Amino acid sequence: MFANFFKNLQRKRNLLRLKDEKFKFLFDEHVSEEYIVFDTETTGLNPKVDEILSIGAVKIKDNKILTSQTFEVYVKNSKEISTKSIEIHGIRPCDLKNAKDATLAIEDFLNFIGSRDLVGYYLEFDVAMVNKYLTKMLGIKLPNKMIEVSELYYDEQTCAIPQGNIDLRFDTILKKYDIPNMGVHNAVNDAVMTAMIFLKLKIK
Amino acid sequence: MSILDQRKLIESIHPFELLSTNELDNLMAKIDIAYYPTDTLLMSKNLCSIAFYIIIKGSVNEFIDDEIHNVYTSEDSFDADALIYNKCESKFVVDEDLICYEIIKDDFLLLMQNKKVQSYFLQDFVSKHQHLKEYDSASELTPFLIAKVSDIFLHSVCVVDEDKSIYDSLVKQRDLKAKIIIVKSGLKHLVVTDTDLRDKVLLGDVDIKDSIKELATSNIICIDIHDFLFNALLMMTQNNIKRLVVKDGEEIIGILEQIDLLSFFANHSHLIAVQIDKADTIEDLKNLQGDLRNLIITLKTKGVKVRYITKLVSTLNLKIYKKVFRMCVSEDLQDKCALIVMGSEGREEQSVKTDQDNALIIKDGVDVELFIKPMLKLNQYLLSIGFPKCSGNVMVSNEFWRRDVHSFKNLIDSWTQNMDDQSVQNLSIFLDAKLVAGEETLLEELRAYLCKNFYNRDDILAHIAKAVLNFKTPLSLFSGFVLEKEHSNKLDLKKGGVFALVHGVRTLSLQYEIKSTNTIERIKELNNLGVIDKNFATELIESFDSLSAIRLQAMLNSKDISKSNYINPKSLEKNQRDLLKDSFKIINKFKKFMSFHFHLDIVS
Repeated sequence: MFANFFKNLQRKRNLLRLKDEKFKFLFDEHVSEEYIVFDTETTGLNPKVDEILSIGAVKIKDNKILTSQTFEVYVKNSKEISTKSIEIHGIRPCDLKNAKDATLAIEDFLNFIGSRDLVGYYLEFDVAMVNKYLTKMLGIKLPNKMIEVSELYYDEQTCAIPQGNIDLRFDTILKKYDIPNMGVHNAVNDAVMTAMIFLKLKIK
Repeated sequence: MSILDQRKLIESIHPFELLSTNELDNLMAKIDIAYYPTDTLLMSKNLCSIAFYIIIKGSVNEFIDDEIHNVYTSEDSFDADALIYNKCESKFVVDEDLICYEIIKDDFLLLMQNKKVQSYFLQDFVSKHQHLKEYDSASELTPFLIAKVSDIFLHSVCVVDEDKSIYDSLVKQRDLKAKIIIVKSGLKHLVVTDTDLRDKVLLGDVDIKDSIKELATSNIICIDIHDFLFNALLMMTQNNIKRLVVKDGEEIIGILEQIDLLSFFANHSHLIAVQIDKADTIEDLKNLQGDLRNLIITLKTKGVKVRYITKLVSTLNLKIYKKVFRMCVSEDLQDKCALIVMGSEGREEQSVKTDQDNALIIKDGVDVELFIKPMLKLNQYLLSIGFPKCSGNVMVSNEFWRRDVHSFKNLIDSWTQNMDDQSVQNLSIFLDAKLVAGEETLLEELRAYLCKNFYNRDDILAHIAKAVLNFKTPLSLFSGFVLEKEHSNKLDLKKGGVFALVHGVRTLSLQYEIKSTNTIERIKELNNLGVIDKNFATELIESFDSLSAIRLQAMLNSKDISKSNYINPKSLEKNQRDLLKDSFKIINKFKKFMSFHFHLDIVS
């Protein structure tokens, strides 16, 4: 009860800070049975200094992953990308040729997600990355409800193995649920796979 | 999967590779991924189909009247008919958690605007089946492109030192039966051909006591033993020469002749036939077995229909039988008996060696004892050549299968009277009897007797036909789930499919007094007699051909003949799996036909 009250308060404060009326729709009632699964590729793991390279997202409606409506955007960066991080995300400087300015990219992203609930794997980090830009642009943080897949998985597994150590690695979960790992590692790709995990957990 | 990866996957699924880049782009923008847990009902008579499904993972069963009709697994798609005709006679149920692509109905119908895709989905069974087969053979890599020099017969090579006389060199060449002489000159190799001899010795002024190097020319062209035959052919064509020197590292090990190369590329069945005719001893015949196997592999990969391959192999085996018969049976006895082969050999359907099923019919009034020794010898010879022993002991070495005409007639009488399993089995084997050597009239007499015995005896025929229903068609085994529960993940092609078809057709042939023993010939004649219609006949022949082809492949791949009837559907290519499934559907249809024809539902 108190938690709910606190959340509402936070939400209201968030709304008051919104600089641009255009994005008020983010605070609308959430769309039932629709979700956005998203993933970001970044230059590093520290939201304070690192930047977003690309955002991939896909919609879920009922039991379907709407791959016909995927979202993918590459973001222009202020600094040079370190060779080490290229090895991880595979985004080379030349891949960013058609990249958008960060502000535009984030706006597109907001328009895509609307007020739907957000789903992700270690979502907190991706949300923090987006919020970093959002606070500067609109003065707010993402107001959407968030669903953490690894948490759902943990709950599901603790029922089966109480007090056991639960391996929460992405690949482990994929294997556990026999989800095809067909594509290369990139933002959209990871979002689709996360979506599959989410559907399996949700429908179970 | 990024859009690109999905695209690759869709593109790899027949018939979507027929789409143009543009069409594929459009399609990709319309595909969604859906998840359905086990036991979800996807469509049925009352639940209209809303989309076309392509399976990424999981499996779906299709039921007609609560009987499994088909199983769909990874990369399979369904159900075009339901979308096109807007009705669904069967029930589709998820058997194992399903992740699939969905193309919604309107988009799918739009896709059908493409003529090629349309014709794939609208084709009737036969043309679809043939279409798939073509696709199958086109996707297989031709072995000629990958055969190596080491795979082919090489002629022995005659190497002489450069200071040897021409005469001595020629003697050595003759002894080695070599085509050319290689002259060793220091580290270099030179060559002397028949043309050199003619031009320089016979027509020129070189004496045969001179040293061989007078004749030698240096245009020697070599190929490595591990190089491709294809390259050898190119080298010969480019340099306009008839032979290549084959080297293993620096050492010369043989000569590759153009004629051998060409006959390797062509089908060399006639060569084997000639060799069988020329064989004088049982050893000669033994040596031919490897060639026979190679011939089958070559023809199969060339895309020759399996029914022609098996016919050819049967013809060659027949020749071997004839030869062995003549080696074992003295001339005065040869026209007093008839050696027959039965079972698959009799039907001319054995490909790789299957068990020897043979028998001897002896003329009435001739002493049966006279044949004991020759037949034991014949049996031994066949075994040593590599015709495996018959597990049921249906062989001339067994007294039971070596009798005179009168005694055979009694045997037939007893078969028709007591109809137990063993009798039905023996009768079935005998129905496929085919003469290989000896007096033909003996077999004809028995066959006429058989027909007379069965004329208008539909009750007995039904009893024989019943065996068709003995084994369930293993359609359910395609689903990965069921497979794991069944023994060793495999299905039995013989019991599951081939047997029902062969036995059913055999019974019908007995009823309609058809003399052919070959299943396909029998089907054609049944069609001529109007027992089955043309379309059904073609379906049966195509199915039989597909099953035989897959069985042949399994036999070639397996080392143990007894296990070669088992195949794992998961190890098959997607197209072959489809062919197999389609064939099983036809087998089911045929079983229904047999049930109806012989009223099997009322025979217990």
